[in-house]
Parts: sequence; C-alpha cells; structure tokens
Amino acid sequence: MDSEDDMHDANDLESLDDDFYSGETGMGSDDGDGDYEFGNNASDDSDDGNLNRQQENYTVLSEDDIRQRQEEDITRISTVLSIERDHACILLRHYKWDVDKVHEAWFANEESVRQTVGLYENPVARTFSRELLCGICFERHPCDRMCAASCGHFFCYSCWRGYVSTSINDGPGCLMLRCPDPPCGAIIGQNMINLLASNEDKEKYSRYILRSYIEDNITSKWCPAPGCEYAVDFVMGSVNFDVSCNCSHNFCWNCTEEAHRPVDCTMVAKWILKNSAESENMNWILANSKPCPKCKRPIEKNQGCMHITCTPPCKFEFCWLCLGAWTDHGERTGGFYACNRYETAKQEGEYDEAERRREMAKNSLERYTHYYERWATNQSSRQKALQDLQNMQNVQLDKLSDTQSQPESQMKFITEAWLQIVECRRVLKWTYAYGYYLPENEHGKRQFFEYLQGEAESGLERLHQCAEKELQTFIDSSGPSKDFNDFRTKLAGLTSVTRNYFENLVRALETGLNDVGESGNQPTCSRSSSIKSGKGKNGKTRTIGGTTSRSLDDGNHSHWSCESCTFANTKSSMVCQVCHRRR
Amino acid sequence: MQSSRARLFKEYKEVQREKSADPDIQLTCDESNIFKWSAFINGPSETPYEGGVFQLAFAIPEQYPLLPPQVRFLTKIFHPNVHFKTGEICLDILKNAWSPAWTLQSVCRAIIALMAHPEPDSPLNCDSGNLLRSGDHRGYKSMAKMYTKLAAMPKKA
Repeated sequence: MDSEDDMHDANDLESLDDDFYSGETGMGSDDGDGDYEFGNNASDDSDDGNLNRQQENYTVLSEDDIRQRQEEDITRISTVLSIERDHACILLRHYKWDVDKVHEAWFANEESVRQTVGLYENPVARTFSRELLCGICFERHPCDRMCAASCGHFFCYSCWRGYVSTSINDGPGCLMLRCPDPPCGAIIGQNMINLLASNEDKEKYSRYILRSYIEDNITSKWCPAPGCEYAVDFVMGSVNFDVSCNCSHNFCWNCTEEAHRPVDCTMVAKWILKNSAESENMNWILANSKPCPKCKRPIEKNQGCMHITCTPPCKFEFCWLCLGAWTDHGERTGGFYACNRYETAKQEGEYDEAERRREMAKNSLERYTHYYERWATNQSSRQKALQDLQNMQNVQLDKLSDTQSQPESQMKFITEAWLQIVECRRVLKWTYAYGYYLPENEHGKRQFFEYLQGEAESGLERLHQCAEKELQTFIDSSGPSKDFNDFRTKLAGLTSVTRNYFENLVRALETGLNDVGESGNQPTCSRSSSIKSGKGKNGKTRTIGGTTSRSLDDGNHSHWSCESCTFANTKSSMVCQVCHRRR
Repeated sequence: MQSSRARLFKEYKEVQREKSADPDIQLTCDESNIFKWSAFINGPSETPYEGGVFQLAFAIPEQYPLLPPQVRFLTKIFHPNVHFKTGEICLDILKNAWSPAWTLQSVCRAIIALMAHPEPDSPLNCDSGNLLRSGDHRGYKSMAKMYTKLAAMPKKA
C-alpha cells in the first residue's frame, strides 16, 4: 500500500505541469492509471460549442411568440382537417396542444373524437317552432332571441350570458364549458364566447387560452421568476435541464427551482425542504437552548436556578451561565446563583467562541449549519456579484472606456468575467448541498470532493480579485495605461481557466465522483504552476493523495459511524460516545 | 336577483301543478321567503333507508340558477356522502357539475339516487365510507337501518 502511495505521489510531481484548470492541455493522460481525469474530451468543448449546445435544447418565448405559435398550430389543424379554426382550437386544447396527437386521433376515428370532445356535426335536438322554452329561466322566447351550441339545445341570450360569465369568472375551467343541458356534452368554443361575453370576460377567456398553450403543453413552462412573462419551450429528452430565461433568471426546467447543476432535482428538493424545516427548528434551538458542555445535547432551560444537571446517562452538572463544571463554582465565583465567570472571562478574552464551535463540530446540527451557512453565503455573494455586474455594465464600463480610450465593444471580456463569477457562485453554492449529502463514510470521495471544492473557491477568489481590485486601478487611473492589454489577456485567461475548471467540476460531481475508487485507486490532481505557485500548496496535493488511502483504511476497519448523529466511534465501543445510541 | 326570483316562482308553480307527479318527493317553499325551500323525500326501496322520510333544507343563492342551491339533510342519516353532524351533502351536481338547467325537483331526484348508490370513495362520513370500502355491507346496512329507524320513522306510541 505504502509503495503504491509513493508511486502516486511521484505521479503528482510529474503531472504538476499539466493544467487541471484549463482542460485544454493534455490532462496528463500519459501518466499512470492512478491519475484522475476530468472528461477526456474536455479539449473539444470550446466555449462556443458549449453555448450552442445550451441554446439548442430550449427556446424562450415571449407573449407574441406564444400567440404566433398558437396561431400556427391552429392553422395547421384547421387546414389539414378542413374544420373551422374555432373547432381546431377546441381539438388542440383537448389534446394538450399536441398537433400530432390530434392528427392521429382524428384520422383513426373522427366520430369518436367528435363525441368525446363534444363537437357534434348534427344537432341532437331539432326544433321548428317559432317560439321556444328556455331551459334555464323557463320563459318562452322567440327563436331569434335564443341560440344553441352544436347540439341544438336552445337557451335565451340573457341566460347564456349569465352562464358564460359565471363560468369565466370561475377560472380556467371555462375552457371546457359545455352546453347547460345536463346530459349534453356539446363544447362551447371561443366564437360563442365572443358572441355572449362582456369585453372584460372575453379578454380573460383569451388569456386562459394563451395560458393553456403553455400550461397544458408538456414541452413548455412559464418562467418561475416573479413578474416574468416569458415561457420556455424545452426539447424533450435533453439531459441538461438548466435553462436561462430572457429575464436573466436561470432555472431548472424539470423542477422549476433555480438552476442547480451539479446537484440533481431530488437532492435540491430534499435540501430546500430541509432548509425550511430545519431553519425554524434551528432558530428555535439556538435561541432557546444551550448544548450540554459534555455530551452536546441541546438543553432548554425553562425554569429554576443556574445549576443544571444533564439528563442521564450524562448527568454532568454545570452552570447555565458559563457552561463550566458546577464543581468549580462557589463563593469565589460570586455565589452559586450569580455566576460572573462568564462576564469576566469574556472581558479577558479567555472565552474562545471558536474553540467551542470546534468542540461541537461533530454534532449533527452543527454539521448541517456548516453546510447551510456556506450555501447561504455563496447565495448572497452571488446576489452581490449580480449587482456588481449590473453596476459594471451601467456605469463602470463607460468610465473605463473613457480613461483607457478604448471602445466599449472591447470591454466585453469584463462582462464575461463577471458573468462567470455569478455562475461560479451558483455552482459553488450547490456543491455545499452536495457535500452535505455526500455519505460521511466515503472518506475517499469526501476528501477529494473537499479538495476540489477548496480549489474551486481559491480559483474563483483569484478571478474575483482580478475582476474587482485590479480592474479598479485601471478605472481610477487618469489616462490610458499600457498595462491594460496585459490585464485584458490576464482576465480573459483567468475567466476561461475558471470556466473550464467549473465545467469539469460540475461534470465530475454529476457522475458522482465515480473515478474515486474505494480501494487504493485514490485521486490525484494537478494544477498549473503558472496559475498557482507556492510549494506549500503543491505539498498539500501530495498529502491529500497520501492520506486518502490511509483514512479509507481507517473508515473500513477501525471506526463505525453512528446512524443517528454520524459521529465516528472507535470499533471497540458498542454505544455511540456522543448520543449514546446503540450500534 | 330578479331573474332568480322569477325562475324560482316558475319552479314553485310547476311544483304546485304537478304535486303528485313524483310521490317520493314533497317540495315546499317557505311562504315568506322564496329563497328558502324544504323537501321531504322517501328513502328508496331495497335500501337501508326504505320506509324512512328524510327532510332536506335548501338555501338558494341570489345568482340561482347560475350557482347551485345549498342543500343539507335535516334528518340524521348514516350515509358515506352525508356529513353525520351537519347533514352536508357531497354530490358533484351540487358543486362543480352544476348546470342551470337543473331544478330543485331534479336535485331531489339526484339525492334519492345518491342514497341508493353511495360513493364510498369520496366520503364525508368516514366511518360509513370505511365500512363499505372494507366490504362490510352488512355492517353498513345495519348501521344505516338503525339510524333510519331512530331518526326518519315516526315514533311508535
């Protein structure tokens, strides 16, 4: 085992020059098979290729686009089936706007389609008298003041108006409105609505038809962003669900949550549910309880003195105020019931908050908090970056092109860098949900994941630094700087390098880090020394390679993870040291 | 308001004219308020409700007949689709399947049909629905019959 480790370490050293970030160099494929490779075809994915691929699998539709498409579909059906447009629209609505399905069903059995949809060719009821009894108000009316749907059941105009308006104001169900005669299923189409409804109701009705085109159609959905009126039409069968609406909202077409690659929809749903359920719980626990200093179980103090005795089996006696052992308390500390140790200690700076947090890191709530805090921080960083991007586009670029006397079209690389930062923050955010659900006992994967995540963070920091601080010097400078072109090369390079790194990261996480075996086949990754130098960091790579297999062995043989609190207990103990649950 | 009153008046006259048309239904209108009606219906034969007389109360909305009347049992009844305490009825034509061409008379007919053919899958009275759903028809019948005897039949002197 040790010798193999050494071999990998050697590989690491050799492959240091290979560029893990860029993906455009040879990715160290000539190295030993112990090397980890991010997608072999990475070099084929040029930036443009990526963009095109994303553009292909969905279309963003504005309200006009929707109307146009809807009109086109109706025209197609009405020409092919040689029926009225009104009827074509009814048929399409019934078959959820699937043109092929309408064709198929109609030509298979026209009569049965007419029956189910309620489009009758011949009236069921025929009347020849000049005056008829309206079935709603039970008054007799002359025929010219009455009308009927395709079935021929006549009702007077005033009753029809009431019927139609009640239905339209009752919601989108009015699209399936049928003849008021109870057993009759004749459908009421838009022509009849236009004849009978008020202008306001007509407007509502045509809105429902428009909505139905998006909502009933299985290939399209509204953009979930508040106030956004665009819809997205998706090419079914595409693997990548992430879509970007024209309102700049990115979301997952499958679950309509915000875009969440590399995490899948189920995990996102779990995480969001957990956040909503847990955050309330956690707030309550944090506000109303303190963990027992010995066994870390949260304790609520609902009454009584400061002398707390933890429940068995812990039975630790401590002071609620300073969380110190009760045995240390006495007259010296200001009396049993008025502990001032906490206050004095805080003043002297002895009370190390961080120390306490480290102690409790094994606590499951702490674990969740750890990931949640980072998830939320990246979330807010992303919002900030979005604002910065807007500020950049609206104000700064203008200024910059003045000071550097370069056209604004030459400043596109800056916008791209900021867009990349926004995207990276989003990916990074979701890696924390990923990390939370990555099984604790897969030490190899965990370590590798944390390493990748750490590298991603520092890569992004570098880009952010460059796009924010270094750029600022050029904005503030009084005249054109000759370094500006170097800066352009640098920032564009960093953007592309970071983009590649994150794309590789996403791909690796989506495949479940499968390249990390449970055996000695541990990951090694190298990074470009041109981008990041410093022996300390390189040394870290080796350490990670080396410790991975060792900790794997530990995980397999000398520890077991508690099912309830996930604490790693030594093999010899049969009861969890932290929560006292039996193995 | 005016049209609903006119329509209810038509129904009232129709009921007066054909009083004996359906012997199982006695529909009457509150003399002082045309929007309040009540009905006595006979439990359908060959059901546990046979022999019982059940009273219904109708509250009629101003938008009638565009909106359905609100109907509930005043007589206690053990039936999957009738709330045991309030007498509320779960029937599609009284909710979303309402059509303005229905009349109070036809609502009564629909309720009689519902008594003969309960829908245990959308129960308002879960105990009754569960008996039927678990296939205990005998249990359901005897419960329903007991309540018919207790509540819907004239007390023997």
